[in-house]
Amino acid sequence: MGSVTFDILTTAGILFVVASGLMIILGVMKLLNFAHGAFLTAGGYAAYLTGAAGISPWFSVPLAGIVGVAFGLVVERTIIRPLYSRPLDAILATWGLGIVISQIFALTFGRGVQFAPSPLSGTIEVLGIEYSAYRLAVSVIAVLLAIALIGLLSLTRFGLNARAVIVNEDLARGLGIDSTRVRAITFGLGSGLACAAGALITPLLSVDPNMGLPWLVNSFMLVLISGVSFPSLLLASLILGGTQVLISTFISPILGGMTIVVLAAMILRLNPKGFSRA
Amino acid sequence: MPKSEITLSRTHRTALVGCLVGLCAVAVAPFFLDTYFTNVLIRTLLLAAVVMTVDILWGYTGILTFGQSAFFGIGAYACGLVFTHYGFGPGWALGGLALALGSAAIVAAGTGWLAFFHGSSPIYASIITLALPIVLTQVIYSGGSYTGSSSGLSGFPTYFWSLEVWFWIAGSFLVSTTTAGWLLVRSDFGRVLVAIRENEDRSAYLGIPVSRIKTMLMVFAAMVASVAGFAYAAFSNVVAPELAGFQLGTELLIWTALGGRATLLGPVFAAIGIDTMSSWLSGAMPFIWKLLTGIAFVGVIVALPRGLAPLISGLWNRLRPQRHAIPFEANIVKASATRMLQGSFGDAPPLRIEGLSRRYGSLEVLSGVNLVGKGTELLGVIGPNGAGKTTLMRCISDGKERTTGTLYINNVEIASSSPQQVVGLGVGRSFQNTNLFETLTVSECLKLARYRIDGTSLFSRSDTIALPQPSLDILQATGLDKKLSEQTQNLSHGMKRGLELAMVLATEPSVLLLDEPTAGLTRPERMAIGSVLTKLTREFGLCIVLIEHDLDFVRAISDRVVVLHQGAILMEGTVEEVVASDLVKAVYAGHKEEEVA
Repeated sequence: MGSVTFDILTTAGILFVVASGLMIILGVMKLLNFAHGAFLTAGGYAAYLTGAAGISPWFSVPLAGIVGVAFGLVVERTIIRPLYSRPLDAILATWGLGIVISQIFALTFGRGVQFAPSPLSGTIEVLGIEYSAYRLAVSVIAVLLAIALIGLLSLTRFGLNARAVIVNEDLARGLGIDSTRVRAITFGLGSGLACAAGALITPLLSVDPNMGLPWLVNSFMLVLISGVSFPSLLLASLILGGTQVLISTFISPILGGMTIVVLAAMILRLNPKGFSRA
Repeated sequence: MPKSEITLSRTHRTALVGCLVGLCAVAVAPFFLDTYFTNVLIRTLLLAAVVMTVDILWGYTGILTFGQSAFFGIGAYACGLVFTHYGFGPGWALGGLALALGSAAIVAAGTGWLAFFHGSSPIYASIITLALPIVLTQVIYSGGSYTGSSSGLSGFPTYFWSLEVWFWIAGSFLVSTTTAGWLLVRSDFGRVLVAIRENEDRSAYLGIPVSRIKTMLMVFAAMVASVAGFAYAAFSNVVAPELAGFQLGTELLIWTALGGRATLLGPVFAAIGIDTMSSWLSGAMPFIWKLLTGIAFVGVIVALPRGLAPLISGLWNRLRPQRHAIPFEANIVKASATRMLQGSFGDAPPLRIEGLSRRYGSLEVLSGVNLVGKGTELLGVIGPNGAGKTTLMRCISDGKERTTGTLYINNVEIASSSPQQVVGLGVGRSFQNTNLFETLTVSECLKLARYRIDGTSLFSRSDTIALPQPSLDILQATGLDKKLSEQTQNLSHGMKRGLELAMVLATEPSVLLLDEPTAGLTRPERMAIGSVLTKLTREFGLCIVLIEHDLDFVRAISDRVVVLHQGAILMEGTVEEVVASDLVKAVYAGHKEEEVA
């Protein structure tokens, strides 16, 4: 029973980390980034390369983040910016970008599965239960990340500008906020977060050119159901991720794999606002 | 857009010629192709029919669907499962086909119910269509030996007809479904689809059942896709989870985008071209080929949003001598406006509001509003900005808007009806910002407004529009009756407002909600609209609720005035009483609230 509780908490943490980059982009730019899965994959390969180069695995996450930010800024300038007024086309373009990225990885690294070293191996004993040390570390990072993101949005100048753009972009622009700059930084930040998340989860799994895909749809659902609020995202990750763990453990792992999608779709049908005002 | 200028018979003639040419091409093609290409093309032709449905859903109606492959997969699995586990023969084949159609229709209806409702965002709907093939693939995986799990089913008994026969089946299926699709998008119904794509909200407020149309369209598209899937499984003798997977679903989208959305033939030819090329090239350079299509896709989306078809048709038009286009003449006839008069019958007032409140979080925009609108009455609603006037309109026209309170239209409680249902009860609403369908013509807009009453034809265009007298009056007063084949984006501001009013009146409302109908109009235009409104109340017994800032205009035409202030009714009375009131003066001059209350 105890390990299931830990499973729920750590799964929620992983889901939060994976979806946060998507959420910040959706919130500020009203853009659902379909290349998010490919960004996660890129982070996974960054972790793999860090390991292969003999650098300490602790550096893989920040390195992936830096690469992600740089890449995100380039993508925003070339592909996203021309499509601001066509949101559904932007979805398609990011989706195409995702295909291109995963094909490039397939050409470079092959279709096979690669592994990245974990910075923390083995288990530790918490409250009398032996549990994977790295999973627990990821959950702690998730909580720290949540605090940092909430802090970024509510305490900094960028956060204030970003919130202004979220609420009313035209008015924000009228007040002299450079919304193009806010969008560019947001996209960079979002893709940086996605790459870092990919690097963070890779030691738990493995990396292949399509690694990000299974996470993509779950992240979409979590983000849609949370509106634009990190506390809601944390709550949604906990509830939906928790249900997923319970169904996988006690009923069937295959049903568990569908839980988040089906549950979120039903919740959104009955209450289109989801958890955003709960 | 030359389409709107083609006459009825010419559209049908073109379709017939196109269909025959297509069938001839299909009939002779196998004799010129080698076995390998025939083999590849059979799959491609079936997928092209699915792509055609994607174009109708996405290109014409604006539903970005990632999940059309799921229905292809359902059809394929219906075939595989029936032939593997139950039996084989003509009866079983027909039964399997019926199973394919039935289950595709049910799944599509369920998906439509989940994805389309008033207020659902297009992104949410897209995610649902993305989730569908993913969930379906999981279901197939979990089926064990029944569905063959990840390796699928193969080697089941099937009809081992020659390749030519399969080619003819696939080809004539594609030609016939595409012809039907081509007629559909050129019919009056096709204009309704475009209207939904361009302005879904406005369509709903004209009484067009947007969600139901989308769901029905999804069901029919799913049935076409499932037949294609069934045929593919019977031909290839293999079904695998990839046939239902979202990889295929997104490929369908890519072909549609590359071919040119909302051109129907563009996506079909793109599907044939790209899929044939990819099976040819992917053997030689598998990853590079996918990479190249990915790059082409991103490039087309960013730089050529309408795809490659417009380039080719542009070239074709330049080479070909210009034919004189016959303008599409619409005939406007008078409809008996019996529904409009219902408000003046009986004792019940057409509009009754009891205890209406609307809160956004802790902010109370409207509180405890009680209001009765009688037939033959023009009720002016005035009040400073932010008083809640537009919110009041919204609460009357959409049952889901208000927080508490009861609302009766012609003595029927509106409960939580969607806007199109409220229109059905007799409410017509015009918007504060002129809100029209840019690329449609004036006559098409009017036809849309008559959708709820007159219906629409699925495969043809009708050239008569029946409009009630008040609509005709507006058209005449604004000169729109001479501009019926003009696109609305080319109209002047005053004409747009006039057209919007004519459209709302064409739905034959008994309660008319007007949000600043004269804003930005010239004085003569204002007078014209004013006299039409007066006539509407006197002769047709309408109850008109009018939001207006121009007090002179209100004074000239209103019977009674309601002053809204900070979400509550401050005062009610004749124009003279209200204008003379110190209370109202205080509100408009911006005195402190305490003094007012």
